[in-house]
Amino acid sequence: MEDCDFLFKIVLIGNAGVGKTCLVRRFTQGLFPPGQGATIGVDFMIKTVVVDGTKVKLQIWDTAGQERFRSITQSYYRSAHALVLTYDITNEETFTCLPDWLKEMETHAATDVPRVLVGNKLDLTSSRQVSRERAEEFANVHNLCYVETSAKEADNVEQLFLELASELTRNARHPALAAGPPPPRLSGQARPVGYFSCCGS
Amino acid sequence: MTMAASSSARAASLSMDFICSLTELGDLRKAYEQLCKEEEDVTRALDLLVERRDPLEAKMDSLRRMRPNLQVIEGDAKQLAQTITFTCSLAENISSKVRELDVAKTRVYQASQRADDILDLKLCTDGVQAALADEDYEKAAAHIHRFLSLDSAVITLSQQGPEGGAWADGLERLRAAEQQLKQLVAEQFEAAVRAGDGAQVERFFKLFPLLGLQNEGLMRIGRYLSQQIARQAEKQLQVSENMESGEKRAAVIFADNLTLLFEGVARVVEAQQPVVETYYGPGQLPALLAQLQPEVDRQARHVLDGFAARRDVQRKYQQVQSSLLRGNAGDKMEPRKLDSLLAELTLMNARSELYLRFLRRRVTADLEACEPDVRAGEQAKLEQLLSGCGLSCAMQELMGEYVTMEEYFMKENVNKAVTMESVEKGQHTSSMVDDVFFIIKKCVGRALASSSVDCLCAMINHATTLLDTHFRELLVGRLQQGFPAGALQDLQRGVSSAVSLVQSGAASLVQPGRFEPRPVDSSQEAQRVFLVTLNNAELCCEYIHTLNSSLEAQCQAGVGAGRGEQARAKIQSCVADLVAVSEKFQKLLQEGISDLNNSSIKPQVKPWISNFLSVSHNIEEEEFNDYEANDPWVQQFILNLEQMMTEFKTSLSLRIYEQLLVLVTSMIAVELEKVVMKATFSRLGGLQFDKDLRALVAYLTSVSSWSVRDKFARLSQIGTILNLERVSEILDYWGPNSGPLTWRLSPSEVRKVLTLRCDFRSDDIKRLRL
Repeated sequence: MEDCDFLFKIVLIGNAGVGKTCLVRRFTQGLFPPGQGATIGVDFMIKTVVVDGTKVKLQIWDTAGQERFRSITQSYYRSAHALVLTYDITNEETFTCLPDWLKEMETHAATDVPRVLVGNKLDLTSSRQVSRERAEEFANVHNLCYVETSAKEADNVEQLFLELASELTRNARHPALAAGPPPPRLSGQARPVGYFSCCGS
Repeated sequence: MTMAASSSARAASLSMDFICSLTELGDLRKAYEQLCKEEEDVTRALDLLVERRDPLEAKMDSLRRMRPNLQVIEGDAKQLAQTITFTCSLAENISSKVRELDVAKTRVYQASQRADDILDLKLCTDGVQAALADEDYEKAAAHIHRFLSLDSAVITLSQQGPEGGAWADGLERLRAAEQQLKQLVAEQFEAAVRAGDGAQVERFFKLFPLLGLQNEGLMRIGRYLSQQIARQAEKQLQVSENMESGEKRAAVIFADNLTLLFEGVARVVEAQQPVVETYYGPGQLPALLAQLQPEVDRQARHVLDGFAARRDVQRKYQQVQSSLLRGNAGDKMEPRKLDSLLAELTLMNARSELYLRFLRRRVTADLEACEPDVRAGEQAKLEQLLSGCGLSCAMQELMGEYVTMEEYFMKENVNKAVTMESVEKGQHTSSMVDDVFFIIKKCVGRALASSSVDCLCAMINHATTLLDTHFRELLVGRLQQGFPAGALQDLQRGVSSAVSLVQSGAASLVQPGRFEPRPVDSSQEAQRVFLVTLNNAELCCEYIHTLNSSLEAQCQAGVGAGRGEQARAKIQSCVADLVAVSEKFQKLLQEGISDLNNSSIKPQVKPWISNFLSVSHNIEEEEFNDYEANDPWVQQFILNLEQMMTEFKTSLSLRIYEQLLVLVTSMIAVELEKVVMKATFSRLGGLQFDKDLRALVAYLTSVSSWSVRDKFARLSQIGTILNLERVSEILDYWGPNSGPLTWRLSPSEVRKVLTLRCDFRSDDIKRLRL
């Protein structure tokens, strides 16, 4: 896989219909597909971005929100370098489900990977059900970054992924500063290497 | 003529008055001469003119002869012009008539067609009545079809004119007949359906499109076919319910049921597609499938409900889920009991995937004749229908449960393989690795057989997690126990294993996982465990690569083929994660080997090397000869080394042994150098050391498959220095005189070695310019 310095896996999770696929499409293809059907199983898209002169390949895994795919989507948590938990600001229920998602992350994901809480559908402010303050407080309590996006209007989508990419790159460059196990540095091939250490060699 | 004029003009140059005015003789003569000359000129010109007269006259003659001819030509030309003018007007005359004729002909044709249409209309009116009376519905429908395809202008036209009233009446009757026929066809169709008369059903099914009722026809046939599917499926379900559990296909009877259901539907589709395409046109298949799918969903639901009830799926699933979550040993499900259930589940999913693929293929073929945008729209609609249908949802739900149960099956069996671990005599590795990879291969292979890319990826992910965490941590834990070097070294080992724990600090952070290291009862057993674990780690790498290549091959041929690029990329990404785990095992192996060398072999070898110091190298001839007869150090060292390494050679794989030997060799070189730097030498002592070194290098070369000389380069250079006659002799080997020799020792090190010779004066060494 050509010449990129880092490969990061970002896994998007959250209830069905909160707009995970639209976020991914908006970021990777720059479009908003209206009338998007429910995702089946797991899908992934790739986008290469440049962070401080470093080529970074983001492999974004878009998971199905429906309960019946849970056992399949859970299997991807452990290899994730970052988790993006998404809810819909116009749908209270998707917000109240967040603790369940957090529990799932605890069980299956590696500890201390960056986690971002995303409130999507910012374009539908008039029918907002979850206030920004509430979401921010929730994010604070659970040690998550919080950002509100609109996949339709392309608000904050680019920022969300680019900031994640730069944080991951930072952590990978200086493993000592990062709390968690650093993501693999790619040497020539796109093969994650190392376990006890990583970028040292 | 011009010449004459010019000569007369010239003559005029001497006018009469001028001549008369002449008085001198000379002048007169001059004038006379001039005049005579002019006369001559004139005469010459005249002669010339006279000469040209004849040809001119001849020409004039010929012209005169041509005159009558020209007159004839002129007459002819005039005549021709007249003819052309006449022809032209004639042609124009004719063509305008042709044009008129053409217009007239078209009108006549149109009129005759209208007349035909009107006649047809009349024929239809009469024919329909007659056909209806005869119960010849095909004919009646054909008449109505003709009527429906007539230009509406014709119908309005037919109502005009003198007979308009009569026509209106006829039309009214025709419309009534149309309604009657529609109703009749529908009734007859339903009657045929009730009677179960397939031929009649097909007969009336073909009539709907003639009456402009495509949608109704498809709806009614859909209903009929759905009934048939239902009846068939119910029959099969009964058969399966009566099946004894001992029968051959009993274990997969629900998968078989599903297969039969799908095959039935496929047969229906195959039978109806040509009829639909011929009588309803292309692009109608999706509409028919939309009619059938709800029934297929309903029937599949029945099968799946029966499956869930008979196989006790929910209870098993919940039990598995709770033991996965809590990890308790209390009410554990025996994984063996899941085996056949899992196999049947994957078979069921494979069947339904096959069925859905069949439908997609059929529709794609059917839509080929359609416009591109219509095709895309229909395709999207079909995709929505198939991915949202009850069958897909039910299968997705089941496969979700499958993945959980398969994960449990894999974990539990791996646990079992670990607890049942044994090492056969003469084997480097334990049964555990073979068993674990057998299980992983089985589980991943089963997921592959389900033809669901997501299930396959999920199981690859779970296998990766299992290997990377639980299994690798088990090996890490065992290697952390260290390699006890034997009773004598117990004290040393206590220190060194503590060191090794600190060194592999990252490993100690890792939780020991669910596999508790087995208690080690004796140091010999502990040694065996350590070495077997090293071999196991190596075998894991090998097996992961085997698993990878077999998966790749299968994906190329099976699941991956015929799927999108996306599906293949997904599988590849998951497999890449799996392969990355093998690198971690490799790393673990390296660390284990170096740990073995540092904390077990080194403490054992060091005293043997230290023995070098207990042998004096400040010796004279006599002692040197004595050493020759009774070797004081190197032979014993080699013997000890050989004894120790034999143990490793028999219990480690060849590759690991070689790697270990590389480390041991380097370690010996480093340690020996340290010891040598503490000794003192005479000239003969230096020679003795050189002899020892040669013996050692020769031995190590004989047991290893690579060159050890490089590792001993510094030592042999030390030997060279210790063998010098006098201090200054070093200059024969140093700097520009070094020749092919590359010095590995720095000048200060050379000086230091020189001081080891007790017979060299330190002043000489200091004075040395290196």
